[in-house]
Amino acid sequence: MSTAARIDDLSFAHQGADLRALERVSLVIPTGENIALLGPSGAGKTTLLALLDGRLQGWRGRVSVLGAPLDPDHPPPRAIRPETGFVFQEFALVERSTVLRNVLNGRLGRMSPLRALLGSPTKHDLEIARTALADCGIADLADRRVDSLSGGQRQRVAIARCLAQEPRLILADEPVSNLDPTRAGEILSLLTGAARARGATALFSSHQPDLARRFAQRIIGIRGGRIVFDVPTSELSEDATAELYRDAEPMPGLGLRAVS
Amino acid sequence: MRLRGFGGFATSALIAGAILWSFATTEVELSRLMSAGPRIADFLGRMFPPDPSVMAEIRKGSAETLRIAILGSLGAVILSVPLGILASETMVSPAVFRPIRTLLAFIRAIPLILVAMLMVGAVGLGPLPGIIAIAFHATGMLAKFYAEAIDGVSRAPIAALESAGAGPLVRLRHAIWPQMAPVVARDTIFRFELNLRESLILGIVGAGGIGFYIQTYVRSFQYDKAASVTIAVVVMVIAIEAINVALRRRFA
Repeated sequence: MSTAARIDDLSFAHQGADLRALERVSLVIPTGENIALLGPSGAGKTTLLALLDGRLQGWRGRVSVLGAPLDPDHPPPRAIRPETGFVFQEFALVERSTVLRNVLNGRLGRMSPLRALLGSPTKHDLEIARTALADCGIADLADRRVDSLSGGQRQRVAIARCLAQEPRLILADEPVSNLDPTRAGEILSLLTGAARARGATALFSSHQPDLARRFAQRIIGIRGGRIVFDVPTSELSEDATAELYRDAEPMPGLGLRAVS
Repeated sequence: MRLRGFGGFATSALIAGAILWSFATTEVELSRLMSAGPRIADFLGRMFPPDPSVMAEIRKGSAETLRIAILGSLGAVILSVPLGILASETMVSPAVFRPIRTLLAFIRAIPLILVAMLMVGAVGLGPLPGIIAIAFHATGMLAKFYAEAIDGVSRAPIAALESAGAGPLVRLRHAIWPQMAPVVARDTIFRFELNLRESLILGIVGAGGIGFYIQTYVRSFQYDKAASVTIAVVVMVIAIEAINVALRRRFA
C-alpha cells in the first residue's frame, strides 16, 4: 500500500515557547484513507496539519509528504504545493471577492506565473472550478461575494477552493468547529466524500469524537503534542476518548456520552 | 490631567518663560498693534469690490493648479506603490521595512513649501517644480498609508494562497489587493484633496498655479484683483471638499 505521508520522530516547538507543540510524533498515513485527528484545544493538531502543509519550519525529525521529503528549514517548492490541499477553520477566504474568484484562487499554483498574476484562468481552470462548485453544491452562488454568505456556505467555498487545487492529500483544520451540528455533518460528509471520489487522502482534525467516528476510518488521539492512540474507528473505546479529554476544557458538542 | 508638585511648577514656569521670551525678543510694538485696526479695515476696503476682470487669469491659474495636483498625485501614487510594499511588514523583512519607514518619516518632515523652493532653484520657475514637489512630499504620507493598508488585511487568505502554491506577487494581487483596494482608494482621494489644497499656494514661491496671481497682485497693490483670486481659491477648496466627501462615502 502506498503512503500519503510518513512522519518519523517529529518534534517541534513554536518560536519562544518553552513547551514543545509536538513531541516525538511518528505516523504513517496510507493513501486513500479518511483519518481524524482528535484531541483537546492546544493538543498540537493545527501545528501537525500546518507542518504537513509545509507552512512550518524549524522542526526536527523526518517527514515526507506524497513521496517527497519535507525540508525542515525551507518551505516546499511551489510547484508541488497544490498537491496538498488545506481547509482552514476560519475559512480563509477573500471576503470581498466572488465565490468563483475564491475557488479559482485554488488554481493559482497550477497556472503559469503570468496567468496567475493576471488572474486569467484557462478554460480548463474554469472547468475544474465549476466542477468543484457543483460538487460542493454551490454552483448557483458562483457570482456572489463571499461576505454575503453564511458560515456553512463559506466552508463549502473553502472546500471547493481546496478541490480546485486537485490535491492528492487534503488536510482540514477543524473544518466544522464554526458550524452548527447539522451543517457540521453535511460539511464533513462533503469533504470526506469528495476526497474518496478523487482517490485523495483526507486528514481532518476535530474535537468532536462523534463526528470523527462518523466520518473517519481511523482515529488518531493527540494530547500535549504526543500521540495517545492511533486505532481503526471500530476499535476506539469510549474510555480512550474520555481519557483523551480528561481535565481538558469542555468543548461544545464534545458529547457527554464519552464522559459519563 | 492635573500637573502636580515640582514637575507641574517647572512646566508652568517653562511655558511662562517661553511666552515672555517671545515678547521680549520680537519687536511687538504696541503702537502698531493699536493702529492696526483701522489699517486692516483700510486694507480690506481696498479689496472691495473684487475686480472681476481677472476671470481669465483665474481660469488659467486654477487649471494649472489642478494639473499640478493631478500630475503630482500621479507621481506620488507611482512612487508610493513600490515604497508602500517595501514599507509593509507583511511583504518584506524588518531589514527592509525599517529603513524605508525611516526614509518616509524623513520625507514627511520636510514642509512642502521648502521642497517647492528647492525645486524652483533646481529646475526653474513654472509648474514642473510644483509637480515634483507635490509628488515627493505626498509620497511620505501615501506610501505609509499604502503600507498600513497592506498590513491591515486579514492574513488567513494569504496563508491559503501560499498553501495553494501562489508566489508573493500573486498573493499580493489575489489575496491582499482585493482586501486593501477600498482603503487605497480612500487614502488616495484624501491625499489628492490635500495635494490640491497645498498646490494652491505653490505659485507664491514660483512653482506654478493660481498662487502666482495672488502674489503678483498683492505685490503690485492691486488688492481688488487679489480679492477675486482669493475668492476663487476659497470656492475651489470648498468644491474639492464636497466632491471628496461624496467620493469617500462611496468607498465606505
